[in-house]
Amino acid sequence: MIFITHHNLLAWLGKLKEDRTLIAPQDIGKGHIRYRPVSDIEEITFDYTQPEMSAKEFLFPQTDRLMRIEKRGDEVTLHDYLLEKEQIIFGLRPCDAHGFLAFDALFLEQDPPDVYYARRREMTTLVGISCPQMWENCFCTSVGGAPDDPSHLDVLLTAVGDGYAVKAATSKGKALLASAETQEVTDLTLPEIPKNETVPILPAEDWPALFNDQYWARLGERCLSCKLCTYVCPTCRCFDLRDEEVLSGTGIVIHDRMRVWDACTAPNYRTIAGGHNSRATKGQRIRNRYYCKFHYYPKDFGPLGCVGCGRCIEACPVNIDIKEMLAQVADLHEKVEA
Amino acid sequence: MNEHNHHSMRPYLGKLAGVKELGTDIRLFQIELMDAVGKEAFANYKPGQFGFVSAFGEGEAPFGITSIPAQDGLLEFAIHRHPHGKTTNGLHNLSVGDPIGVRGPLGNNFPMDDIKGKDIIVLGGGIGGAPLRPVIKTVMENRDDYGSMTILWAARNPGLLIFTDEYEEWRNTPQTELHLTVDNKPPDWDEGDEGLITTLLEKLNPSPENAITITCGPPIMIHFVSLTLKKLGFTLDQMLVTLEGRMHCGIGKCGRCNLGDIFVCTDGPVFYHSEVAELLESFL
Repeated sequence: MIFITHHNLLAWLGKLKEDRTLIAPQDIGKGHIRYRPVSDIEEITFDYTQPEMSAKEFLFPQTDRLMRIEKRGDEVTLHDYLLEKEQIIFGLRPCDAHGFLAFDALFLEQDPPDVYYARRREMTTLVGISCPQMWENCFCTSVGGAPDDPSHLDVLLTAVGDGYAVKAATSKGKALLASAETQEVTDLTLPEIPKNETVPILPAEDWPALFNDQYWARLGERCLSCKLCTYVCPTCRCFDLRDEEVLSGTGIVIHDRMRVWDACTAPNYRTIAGGHNSRATKGQRIRNRYYCKFHYYPKDFGPLGCVGCGRCIEACPVNIDIKEMLAQVADLHEKVEA
Repeated sequence: MNEHNHHSMRPYLGKLAGVKELGTDIRLFQIELMDAVGKEAFANYKPGQFGFVSAFGEGEAPFGITSIPAQDGLLEFAIHRHPHGKTTNGLHNLSVGDPIGVRGPLGNNFPMDDIKGKDIIVLGGGIGGAPLRPVIKTVMENRDDYGSMTILWAARNPGLLIFTDEYEEWRNTPQTELHLTVDNKPPDWDEGDEGLITTLLEKLNPSPENAITITCGPPIMIHFVSLTLKKLGFTLDQMLVTLEGRMHCGIGKCGRCNLGDIFVCTDGPVFYHSEVAELLESFL
């Protein structure tokens, strides 16, 4: 087993940072932990549970400048903004890495691929740290993940003794580790991570039977359509496009075409030309969000649209709880089938 | 730079070659694509497909293509300006010669080959007539390949009836009828009926035998047209419809146009009503 001391890890990160953007968990004040670009290695926090936001913003920014539109008189030229500098997301929790599986399935594997996402993905290396425990809202083990799951990471570190056990899960990870001072050890026992009780996940093909159940209208009554659940979600990917002026001078105007996060729980999301809204009620919209995660996404693209991070539970102002929903839906299905 | 890095979110550059007033706040945009890649992409588009039109700096939005591939190479879109629509206002503010962008062609199309030999009933509501004009033009250009063509053209008021300057040509086409109706008939208008398209449809009472209907309009119209057609003996397999969604990508990524597990942009926008009826989530 490969081992790296905490001291050597910091030295390695310092080296990596020289020609790459290093993103890592930081305390941004009052104990709020976020993944943020690091200017000094000292800024990285190792004492954290789960950052408040997932890391999706580094592959799918909340506001992403896709394209520069330059108008000179009657001439328009377009220029794509593609990420130029390599980036490393360090300290990533395994569930946040798992979230990129859903993005990859849609933005890389479904034709045509998205060039902006593809470039960011190619330029990004994911270095995770195993969770020392599952926290209150965590249910990764119910949706195919684990607190120490290396599957979607390039490198996984697991804290042990005065350092970390190192697992290079991909060739990209192995290449990155070449510059790290590590040692081969044989007598290392990794700590056992206690698991939360699992939540029943109704198989994707069983969801249609419950589509017209009153359950969704009842659940929707509580929803505020605030969209927080979609913003904190590592897999929610709905987007809007808009042009914004960035510069205007004599004979030249520059706009950026921007991709911004959208949310299917927003009241007018499904409103079309002429004003018709086929998803006018909150129940219909919350149903769409959950069906997207547990029926549409697996059916259309493969992976589930949920990694069990539990952030939507923490974020919801009216305590709508995805774990509770999953348990109730499983119960409901049993009754419907009975 | 523009020709080489083409990808599906990047518009082809074009120039607004012509503009025609089609009705109240409705204009026909004739677009000449400027680069070879764009021209090639739009060399052989099909009736029912759509594209995204960019008013650079204002935004882009999806519109059904209202032309068929023509020798002059002009691509046409009929666009209804919404009072608060940033993109449609941006487009309506363009002048001939201005730059304009187009992405596409996107989506599936009306199965014009499969419906050869059938009587075609075209039902268009307001701006919903835009993606049906390529159907009408295809039948006109290949008149012997199809049976009769009955066009039911409806709008809230006469100002919203589109392509009025082509009605005579449509009517003069062999085995072709055009019937107009408006919700409220002004005293000085005498070119058609008063009432909804369903009333006109019942009055005309077309035979379902060897017939196919093609409908585009607001969801509520599509719904009631299908009920009326059923009453007249048509099956859901004889009804083609085209649906919409306020899409942002047109390539199945942005999430906007899903109806249950399908996307209007990539699985549609053209469906048989029998397929629509099977969808988990209603378009209504």
